[in-house]
Amino acid sequence: MLLTNNLSFKRGSKTIFHNINISLSPKKIIQIKGRNGIGKTTLIKILSNILVPSTGEIYWNGKNIKKDSHLFFKNFTYIMDTNTSKIDMTIYENILFWKKLFLSSISDQMIESLLNLLQLNIYKNVMVKYLSYGEIRKLELCRLMIEQKKLWILDEPYSGLDELTTNIFNETLINHSQNGGMVIFSSHFYPPITSIEDLPLEHYANI
Amino acid sequence: MLIFRSIISIFLREYLITFRNFYNVLTVIVFFILGVLIFVFAIGPDKAIYSQIGIGIIWTLILLSTNLSLKKLYQDDFNDGNLILFYISGISLELIVIIKIITAWVFFQLPFLIIIPIVCLILNVTTDKIILLILTFIISSPILTALSSISGSMNLLNNKNFAIGSVIIILFSIPIIIFSVNIINSTTVLVTPQLNILLGILMLFLAITPWISATCIKIAIRNK
Repeated sequence: MLLTNNLSFKRGSKTIFHNINISLSPKKIIQIKGRNGIGKTTLIKILSNILVPSTGEIYWNGKNIKKDSHLFFKNFTYIMDTNTSKIDMTIYENILFWKKLFLSSISDQMIESLLNLLQLNIYKNVMVKYLSYGEIRKLELCRLMIEQKKLWILDEPYSGLDELTTNIFNETLINHSQNGGMVIFSSHFYPPITSIEDLPLEHYANI
Repeated sequence: MLIFRSIISIFLREYLITFRNFYNVLTVIVFFILGVLIFVFAIGPDKAIYSQIGIGIIWTLILLSTNLSLKKLYQDDFNDGNLILFYISGISLELIVIIKIITAWVFFQLPFLIIIPIVCLILNVTTDKIILLILTFIISSPILTALSSISGSMNLLNNKNFAIGSVIIILFSIPIIIFSVNIINSTTVLVTPQLNILLGILMLFLAITPWISATCIKIAIRNK
């Protein structure tokens, strides 16, 4: 369970947002909404313990994530707005690297079916630099399944996805939340999932 | 024990990426050889001069080519978010820095072990000096790599101005150059003490570099 307490963030003297209270319990999906430049990525970086908030604390299962960052990092997957796959490695090498880096127990069969589902199987041994943007984003989303963590923090997961992959991704979100997972993501796309809770950042921005 | 699997996988990844961008290594070697040749053309065919300044030329060019190759040691991983991924994965950044330094040393400095004897023929360096030169190179090149790691991680903090990093490398490598060149040109009595000093500098940098680089990377991640 992720709890935040009066989060606010200042850049210089300008307040980006203030007094954000989030309580993300299992089986819950939260979507951060707001116009460009309002601070969605900043909030996501704060929730991922990469940026430090100006005021407020974040707790993961009752423990402050600043003090127990190791425990927190073990439990969440962070999909960034950048693509972390290495362009000089093939799809399969990237996946294998993530599997070993995050000490995942995903089986080869699972990887195979995951690539089949995302239609990446024919490019398995193609270097990432020859793929299109959408395919690289799909590969990035594979990390969710490889890491098998409880909490997903996603920055613009829908960018570049085609209709089929969007549907698959929606189903994945629903499955994950039904299995007791937690998701918080930012997007300008409104997925047709009824259980999503909104977090409109406009309400917290300094006027 | 499981962490060793992650470490080995990071090693493998680094080797793959550097190996597939092998032209970077070739650029450095070609720069080194061309630099030596330009010195030869500029100074002229007088053999007596080269026995005095040959070692100095080689060391200057080693320093410059190290500076050329390793300026962007962390830049790619920083831009595509891989350093954040490492930070999250629970492996300490200090370990990542050590892995990076070892890979960079193997790929960008070890080739010089083959090139230096060839270049020594051009510059008329005698055989006993070549052996000493290679010995000092083995001790000093990890120091240069460590310095490049420090400047590379400092360059993450400002992504426009690479001059500060170069200044750091060149300033801190002055003592290394002084001792490395002096060992070869001095009498046999003075060889061991100067080698000891070089080894001392190596130990110092091996000890402090991971901390400095990791701290710089952490600050850079926070400020991105």
